Amino acid sequence: MFANKRLSKELLKLQEHVPPGVSIAKSDNLEEWQMDIKVLDDNPIYQGQTYRLKFTFSNKYPIEPPEVQFIELPATSDTPRPIPMHPHIYSNGIICLDLLSSSGWSPVQTVESVCMSIQSMLTANSRNERPPGDSDFVAYNRRRIRDIPFVYEDDNV
Amino acid sequence: MNIPDFLALEADSESGDLVDLRALDFVSSYDSHLMCPICHCPFVQPVRLQCDHVFCRKCLGSAITTVRSADSEEFPCPSCRTPATRISMNVPRLLINMCDEIQVRCPLLGDGCEEVVPRGHIQSHVEKYCGYRLVPCPDESCGKNTRKKDLQPDQRCMHSYCRCGRCNEDIMEQDFAEHDKELCPSLETTCVDCGTTIPQRTLKQHIETCPDVVSPCVASKYGCQVKIRRADIAIHEQQCPLVSIGPYFEAQNTRLDSLELTMRHLQQRNEIFEDGLANIRSTLRDFARASGNGGRSVIGGERDQQARGDADESSDLATAFSSHTTQYLLSLHESLREEVNQISHALTDLDARASMTIMNECLRIKEDMAHTNAAVNSVRMQVQWLMNPRLHNGARAGGIRTSTAGNESPRTQLTSTSAPGPSNAAGPSLGPLRPRRPSDSGREGTKL
Repeated sequence: MFANKRLSKELLKLQEHVPPGVSIAKSDNLEEWQMDIKVLDDNPIYQGQTYRLKFTFSNKYPIEPPEVQFIELPATSDTPRPIPMHPHIYSNGIICLDLLSSSGWSPVQTVESVCMSIQSMLTANSRNERPPGDSDFVAYNRRRIRDIPFVYEDDNV
Repeated sequence: MNIPDFLALEADSESGDLVDLRALDFVSSYDSHLMCPICHCPFVQPVRLQCDHVFCRKCLGSAITTVRSADSEEFPCPSCRTPATRISMNVPRLLINMCDEIQVRCPLLGDGCEEVVPRGHIQSHVEKYCGYRLVPCPDESCGKNTRKKDLQPDQRCMHSYCRCGRCNEDIMEQDFAEHDKELCPSLETTCVDCGTTIPQRTLKQHIETCPDVVSPCVASKYGCQVKIRRADIAIHEQQCPLVSIGPYFEAQNTRLDSLELTMRHLQQRNEIFEDGLANIRSTLRDFARASGNGGRSVIGGERDQQARGDADESSDLATAFSSHTTQYLLSLHESLREEVNQISHALTDLDARASMTIMNECLRIKEDMAHTNAAVNSVRMQVQWLMNPRLHNGARAGGIRTSTAGNESPRTQLTSTSAPGPSNAAGPSLGPLRPRRPSDSGREGTKL
């Protein structure tokens, strides 16, 4: 109930105004939204690409963080959405960002602020690579995102 | 108040408020600073942390319970992550008033209440004044709810059914008045236009479709003044010449509009051109007058201005033109000269300034050097003073040595006589030690 009210308010605000490079791709219910983000500067790794983020909200949002991950749409579709290359983004779209963990999350964050954080995380990146152990993680991970014990060792992001 | 107390208070105050202030429909937009960053609603019972961030009491309570590790004394502020240990319940009155002043709709809008009140009053509005709130029927055995405004002064139950005498339908007593006047299917009325009798409920729809309502021809805006019954209007429209010519009129109208637009545009441009032309003409006239004056003075100024004909004027114009170019070049030359002058001025200025700064620097450096010299001198003096006893000792030893050797030189004698003088420093030691200390000469120089 709390979550729905807050989300509908956020949606209203986003429909009025979205930050540059962010757009709503799908928000027809209050449990899962999809947002498209673009990197605005001329970072060669992300030039000309659009990425899709999937937000899954629990009914305790915003007290609890939403689950956020990139999703991939095939290059052959009308709206190709790859998974961006980043040393903290696994190739299945899972993002290692302490902001999205329950310890790093703060209820004052919004969908908008999360999008902008991820946008700036991509903007600041200069390494065109996946996290170490990406293939193993992608092959063996069956846990839900919130249960993965990430270690946030890199403070430079 | 510290965190455990706050949480205890929060748990106690689970108030069953009539109205959920966060679900209200806000009529006007409100300042985003009045919005709780957690629930995105205007603050409800705001509380403040040490870092001056304000949240609703309930929002902060739920944030603390999930974020705080058990029994820890502090908790990071959701906005700035500053560790907070105390929560202040008193926030500025101003903030509370501003939040309570925001206009909201009565939550019973769906039931028919269209009241708009400040948020601070909504609780009492719903509780006391709103007529659309459902309250239990005064008759306790009834068990139904009734709208507050339908309550009878005599506290009677209005839920009993009574039969409408005309349509034989059972109507609840509270709805009976409405049914009796408007909704009963047996109520009939007569259409003023067609004279048929229809049920009152359908009167509105009937008026929209009644074939006997008189309405104007569609081409009325083009001048057709026919007003006839709706049933006949189709026949009229087939015959009316204005209807068939209508599309043509419309096309003409749009063309006229676009032409008017272009015309306005052209008029504006024309005005600009005319202005430019007037400017050119006035400058030309000025030149003509100047050159005319010059020419007359050369000739002798005998010619009368009145006597000059049209041809004269045109030749005047031509000369004006040629003189115009030369004048232009001259003025260009003049302005260039001026610029050069300015630049040379600036150069001399810069030069003077640079030399001034250099001089200043030099003075400073000289001063510094003097200072350094003085310092070196004093250091030297000190070294001298420190060396003195050693030299003395050395001299004494040397003296002993030489005396034992028995061949004391006359020079050492001389110096030893001058020893008690004020310049006791190096005098006696100079003799025997000189060959060992090459820096002595410099010392002597500075001493002088």
